[in-house]
Amino acid sequence: MPYLRRYVAMLLIAVLALGSLPVAAAQTAGLVSTQSALQADTAASDRERINDVLARADVQDQLLAQGVSVDQVKDRVAALSDAEAREMADRLDAMPAGAGVVGALFAVFIILLVTDILGLTNVFPFTR
Amino acid sequence: MSSRLLAKRQAPRRPLQNARPAGVLLCATLLALFLSGCATSPALKDSTYRLPEHVELVNVPFFPQEKYQCGPAALATVLNYSPATPSSAKRSPAGQAGTDRAWTVSPAAKARLARGSERDTDITADSLVSQVFIPGRDGSVQPEMLAAARRHRRLAFPIRPTFDALLGHVAAGDPVVVMQNLSLPAFPMWHYAVVIGYDLAEESLILRSGETRRQITSFSRFDATWARSQRWGFVLAKPGRIPEGVTSRRAVDGVSAFEALHGTRAALSSWQALTQAQPDNAMAHFALGNALYEQEKPEKAVQAFSRAVAADDTLGVAWLNLGLLHAEQEQTAKARRALEKAAALPGQWQPQAHRALDTL
Repeated sequence: MPYLRRYVAMLLIAVLALGSLPVAAAQTAGLVSTQSALQADTAASDRERINDVLARADVQDQLLAQGVSVDQVKDRVAALSDAEAREMADRLDAMPAGAGVVGALFAVFIILLVTDILGLTNVFPFTR
Repeated sequence: MSSRLLAKRQAPRRPLQNARPAGVLLCATLLALFLSGCATSPALKDSTYRLPEHVELVNVPFFPQEKYQCGPAALATVLNYSPATPSSAKRSPAGQAGTDRAWTVSPAAKARLARGSERDTDITADSLVSQVFIPGRDGSVQPEMLAAARRHRRLAFPIRPTFDALLGHVAAGDPVVVMQNLSLPAFPMWHYAVVIGYDLAEESLILRSGETRRQITSFSRFDATWARSQRWGFVLAKPGRIPEGVTSRRAVDGVSAFEALHGTRAALSSWQALTQAQPDNAMAHFALGNALYEQEKPEKAVQAFSRAVAADDTLGVAWLNLGLLHAEQEQTAKARRALEKAAALPGQWQPQAHRALDTL
């Protein structure tokens, strides 16, 4: 029994050690990637990458809180570019959300009617 | 005396008294709006007036919006359309003066513009709801519109925020998704619509918008509503095509975001198209070099990096990658020359270049 344990342990050590190698071996020249070069105007890239991971997690939490379904949220966040993820993490609440014409606000009906006639807004179809 | 004053202050106000300040305010606001000059037509560049006078991309499909879902509807509209001729607006001969020649359309191209393939994909507005709609906000935000297009294997490029650029894209055959605030800034009513045509003489735009298939809006009214989103809009393209008139930085960002999602193999054709469309775009050559290197074509990558530094001598990161690649190929002299260039340029790549020089 102790022998088995020892073998398993050795096997595990070997697998884990090997598993960590290929990542380093694949990119021998260690070129700077396009995506990190595009972030050149911001701070050092390592810190930036950590921030990006955090930003994505943050966006995911915010979207879940806003009612996006759990099985969709991962794909949606993955499709964002780094810059977009950062922007959404920073100011999703302040961001305009396109909803459309449906549901005009009755309280401001008159104001909007006048501004519509002036050509400043585009709320009511019949003013055109 | 004082007790009477107190009593007066506490007396309930009559409703009319309450309404009066509000009415005065309303009148003042409206007067101010009148005096500040009503919506004016946006000033256009001379080059814009050389565009075809009337353009309408009639084959752009229509997806009427349901409830608050103008985002998915607008997205489905452009995803189901691809221009008949890739980047059909031909550049006019180089002799023509003027800064923005990109928008000039040849008569032959103009004739082909109106044609386009309808429904070459099978995406409905409903299928996009789960990808862009945020229930808590009753709407869709801009970054997710771009991201959702990317998920459907399209390149998404925000346009330059000017009226000239908007008309130029439509003239080149690309419908533009725009974000408007149809109402006033104080009571926003954010909306996505698709600009599919315009008429320069009548100063009107043609849109697929909300539940209207062919909405005609004057330049001035549209610009008033569009300006409230800082004139935000975007165009889509299939991989391997760069729409006419996309600015260099937005083009690189757009392809790079696509690459991050779908990998270098999928993005390679787009980088090649971008370097052809914008030969002066150093960052595009740099990115093409990286993509080629990852596709195990180091020789071609060297060429691309060389073109990058030829286009912009001060692009340190391109010198750095060129040097690293030469070093890998054991061409020490070339590597040293490139790395010394990178090390001499101020910026964040300097330390890395110095380290690489030390290990040569």
